Amino acid sequence: MLLLLSSLVTLAVLGWAAFHENVLRDWREVQREYAAKLPAEGRAAFNPQLRQIVVPALKATDRCITCHLGMAPGEHAIAGHPLFAAHPPIPHDAAEMGCVICHGGQGLATDTADAHGTVPHWPAPMLPRADSQAGCGSCHTHLKVPNLATLRQGQAVLERHDCLACHAVDGRGGTIRPGGAAGLIAPDLSLVGARGYQRDWYDTHLAAHAAATAGPWSTSFRPIPTEERASLATFLDSRVGAPKLVEGKALFHSLGCRGCHKVAGVGGDDGPELTIAGQRDPGQTSFAAVPGKPTLANWFAEHFRNPSAVVGGSQMPAMGLSEDEIDALVLFTFSLRRSPFPEAYWPNDRIRSERFGEREFATDGATLYGTFCAACHGRSGEGMRYPGMMPFPAITNPDFLALASDEFLTATIARGRPGRRMPAWGASEGGLHASEIATLVSWLREWSGVQAEEDPKPPRWVRGDAAEGERLYRAACSGCHGARGEGGEGPALAVPAFLKLATDTYLTESIARGRRGTTMEGFSRPSTTRRALAPDEVFSLVAYIRTWEGTR
Amino acid sequence: MSTAHPPISPRSRLEPEPVARRDFLGLAALWSAAAALGFAALGALRLPKAAVLPSPSKKFRVQLPESLAPGEAFVPPGRSVALFRDGEGIFAVSTVCTHLGCIVKPTPEGFDCPCHGSRFSADGAVMRGPAPAALPWVAVTPVSAGVVIVDEAATVPPGTKVQA
Amino acid sequence: MSAGAPTPAHPHPDGLRTLLANLLALPRRFRGSAFRSGPLRGDRSRSSFIFGNVFLHLHAARVHRWSLRWATTWGLGIMALSAFLITLLTGVLLMFYYKPYPEVAYESIKNIHFVVPTGRLMRNIHRWAAHVMVIAVLAHMARVFFTAAYRRPREFNWLVGIGLLVTTLGLSFSGYLLPWDQLAYWAITIGANIAQSPREITDALNVTASFDPGGLQKVLLLGSDEVGEEALIRFYLFHVMLLPLILVALLAVHFWRVRKDGGLARPADADARLGPPHPATYPVFTEAPQKTYHLAAVVRGQTPAVGRGPEGTLPAMPHLLYGELALFMLTTGICLVLSVLLNAPLKELANPAVPENPAKAPWYFLGLQELVAHSAFMGGIGIPMIVLVGLGLIPYLDREEQGTGEWFGGPGGGSLVAQAAIFGLLTAVGIEAFAIHFGWLRQWWPGVPQLVITAVNPGTVLTVVYAAYSLWLVRRFNSTRAGALGLFTCFLAGFVVLTVIGTYFRGPNWEFYWSPAQWPGH
Repeated sequence: MLLLLSSLVTLAVLGWAAFHENVLRDWREVQREYAAKLPAEGRAAFNPQLRQIVVPALKATDRCITCHLGMAPGEHAIAGHPLFAAHPPIPHDAAEMGCVICHGGQGLATDTADAHGTVPHWPAPMLPRADSQAGCGSCHTHLKVPNLATLRQGQAVLERHDCLACHAVDGRGGTIRPGGAAGLIAPDLSLVGARGYQRDWYDTHLAAHAAATAGPWSTSFRPIPTEERASLATFLDSRVGAPKLVEGKALFHSLGCRGCHKVAGVGGDDGPELTIAGQRDPGQTSFAAVPGKPTLANWFAEHFRNPSAVVGGSQMPAMGLSEDEIDALVLFTFSLRRSPFPEAYWPNDRIRSERFGEREFATDGATLYGTFCAACHGRSGEGMRYPGMMPFPAITNPDFLALASDEFLTATIARGRPGRRMPAWGASEGGLHASEIATLVSWLREWSGVQAEEDPKPPRWVRGDAAEGERLYRAACSGCHGARGEGGEGPALAVPAFLKLATDTYLTESIARGRRGTTMEGFSRPSTTRRALAPDEVFSLVAYIRTWEGTR
Repeated sequence: MSTAHPPISPRSRLEPEPVARRDFLGLAALWSAAAALGFAALGALRLPKAAVLPSPSKKFRVQLPESLAPGEAFVPPGRSVALFRDGEGIFAVSTVCTHLGCIVKPTPEGFDCPCHGSRFSADGAVMRGPAPAALPWVAVTPVSAGVVIVDEAATVPPGTKVQA
Repeated sequence: MSAGAPTPAHPHPDGLRTLLANLLALPRRFRGSAFRSGPLRGDRSRSSFIFGNVFLHLHAARVHRWSLRWATTWGLGIMALSAFLITLLTGVLLMFYYKPYPEVAYESIKNIHFVVPTGRLMRNIHRWAAHVMVIAVLAHMARVFFTAAYRRPREFNWLVGIGLLVTTLGLSFSGYLLPWDQLAYWAITIGANIAQSPREITDALNVTASFDPGGLQKVLLLGSDEVGEEALIRFYLFHVMLLPLILVALLAVHFWRVRKDGGLARPADADARLGPPHPATYPVFTEAPQKTYHLAAVVRGQTPAVGRGPEGTLPAMPHLLYGELALFMLTTGICLVLSVLLNAPLKELANPAVPENPAKAPWYFLGLQELVAHSAFMGGIGIPMIVLVGLGLIPYLDREEQGTGEWFGGPGGGSLVAQAAIFGLLTAVGIEAFAIHFGWLRQWWPGVPQLVITAVNPGTVLTVVYAAYSLWLVRRFNSTRAGALGLFTCFLAGFVVLTVIGTYFRGPNWEFYWSPAQWPGH
């Protein structure tokens, strides 16, 4: 009796297992649905089976095309269907590289949830569809991306000069044929940043414009000023087929994120390195403070809204971003990923970035400032105040810029300001080249319109009574700068690097004039609580401060 | 368990029972067990035949050398296909011998198979040797000047040439 | 059956005709040559069915009625064997696709799960049958112990059984690494460091530099100082080759000894208790005077069947074989149902940089892991060795006769076992609760030497308490069997308590949690 029962149960369970495997598996249901949509002759030829793309060099074994049949080699695409449509046109062929390398997910899997990577124990879920351009970051490192203002400016020039009349860019424009209905089609400019374009285009356009008497060459083209052509060139170089990703990266290069975060070795050390931040494992991530579905996209977005609530103990301030900016940043964050495939398969831009040291950010002053400085010194140099942190100085303060020489600025950027948040940005610390720092300094002058005052005096000229200076310091300065110049509300002064850089003129004038917009008063003028300091007293103070040089 | 068995008549227990009278339940149990095990064996036998073969994607992108002369074969490294360019366009001939799968070697006259001496003409037709069929032509898709995508898995009728 | 082959009525010179006749007779002759016994009619053919078959002749041709009662064995040994056969078959099938190399191994398991025809089911069956096998082996051991079936002349088979238990656990453990996922990697890392834990002693004695058995064990196990490709190929070798061979060899000895030691243990008055024999059990010798003792009767030594005769026995075919087949099908059915309902676990790809938290071994090792949380050496090596040696000594220390073949046979019987179980449960729960609530030596005196903790920890305290309890039982009942019963029951209870705590109440950092819902994170 036991034999009979157990045998029958075994038989039944085996039957169920066979039925499940051969009829009920996700992909079998999908392929039945696909076959039903095929025309009759296609249905007869269609063979329900697993399909895969294998590319050993890239470690790709992707079975996505088992269900996404419109993308499978040799199968019919059903236009408009969410599952069976062909892949939107891209420069790559899935058969060459598989799917997962761009989209994430689990290529080996053949069940829907497993394949999309939304199951426990799979660390790399698929990128959200809205952020699919982030997948380019697996292999590509887009170079010389400017800050957002520069990018937008280039786009504005493009639109203002009506280039879109003939040229298509990122799926827009290109409705007119310059040579008439059957004539020349203007090239699509969506990929010119990667594929290159004729650098003498302006001259040929100009010649054609001059030669034409009617038609688009005559009406749609006008001479373009030199500086606007430069803007156009910047914009065209950023057209790599991933406009949303470039937009996100430009925003990243405007908010000063690299001031605290390193990406590929360049950036500050206050926050975690972000080189592969987009590859965060949801299984190792706490979604307790994240409203909505526990997806990485929601986690990133909520983290940008309120960093310390999502990551306990995070020092990152809330940046007050708009939702559009957050979306762009989420996409960019997802793009911070690295597929570990052989260097022989690296695209040019990644080789240029990682082997030849080319920059991901444009190296003009504005982009450099946006990339490294804007988070602390403000997007327009006005300084920043974040809750719970010391205020960051306004870098465009005219009192400061007038007193500080270019050498002072260069050295401060390169070596930082010990005792303050300002880190060192030299090649071995923050990773900036000397030429980039020089660009930054000259751009700062240009941007603020404040040049350093001529200082005919030698660096050290003050003679004063250090003992008298000490008495004055205790009375007037120690409250903010600390009893021994170690800093407090105000910056530390007993810092050899700073004292070596600061000339006597810089010190005396700073004390005498103060710094507008900060709590540093001008001590040569009286206030309600104290009298004005005489020039000799200022010299004594400087002499006292000089006693710290080299003693600590 | 159906240990119930036919009552044995008190004759000699060494003599064979006259008729094998077996109970229905015992038989049913035995047969269902056999069926279950047989079904399980079928499942086990299905396992070794792989549902998907791990053969790599045969589609690849290649740049033809500028200097490729008509009639000269270009074999991309690591691939078993020979690419030709002549006045009519670009075409690709598989270099896998149709006899037993050796890789044939392009010669000025065509292809020689090193294994069993088959010889093919430049368009893949069998000239001599044991090969039962001509070398197939494979699909070539032009991408840009001198760059094509070759799909070794897709054969095309001999004579199909594409302009790059 | 060659005698039964038809011979031509008169030899015909025509060779071709003979050939034709032979060809026609081929199916019948083939059947006759392959199967030695004819249709099963009568006891003789039934007997020859058993001993004429290489696979079945390990069985006695006739089995005592006592052995055939369900209550005697509950079929646990056969279930263990069935589970082993199932893992063997499914394991061989999995080897078609499994590739023992890091990362590639993980991918091959993914392939087995997602694309290999019936692969997912086979892997699930393999996994669950392994669990069933461990449970069945443990239960089988408990059955043999509680029916006092280890006694003379079966002492040695008890030792072989212990060897089988260890081999079974080794097979399970070595299979754990093969998927190369996080679970595997960290369980084996812990296991390898337990193998290294004798360093706890050698370090404390400051002799590790010259005498390092722990390090040697770890290097032998892993082929390296950390879990990597060397370890994987070794564990693969252990899992598919070495341990199965050992297991099969031990099984052969085990079964052979079951027969040679006189079948299953039964009380001396088994026949009387069973009542009048079934009509099918004939007094064999009276009816068959032509049957003679064969050589076994005249050689020296123990052949227990001699002199007792096969009275009270039934033919193994069909009575025993049907039962065995039923148990095999039952085990298969259990494994199948489990496999259809639950997928075998597979976590993320092994990542040496991110430890699993908590990293848990297979459930049957979680009791040990609970002890290891205090002292790696004592929990992982010391106490298991003490338990194994203690188990091995039982048949040599208990030389009594009372209660052989009966459940809970011996002085005290069932009530003693119940008391010991309660005592064992309460003591284990008590000590664990104490250690969880109040901490242990190091929380009180952070400077306490490691040797002291190795010697005095919840595991050793529990062992000593159990041992003392059992000695007290020996004195109280004036019987070694009573002590053995008490000790075995206590250890079983302790094993259950520790396993349950380790499985259900330990979370990240091996902290105590009432339920996984309270785990931090996630």
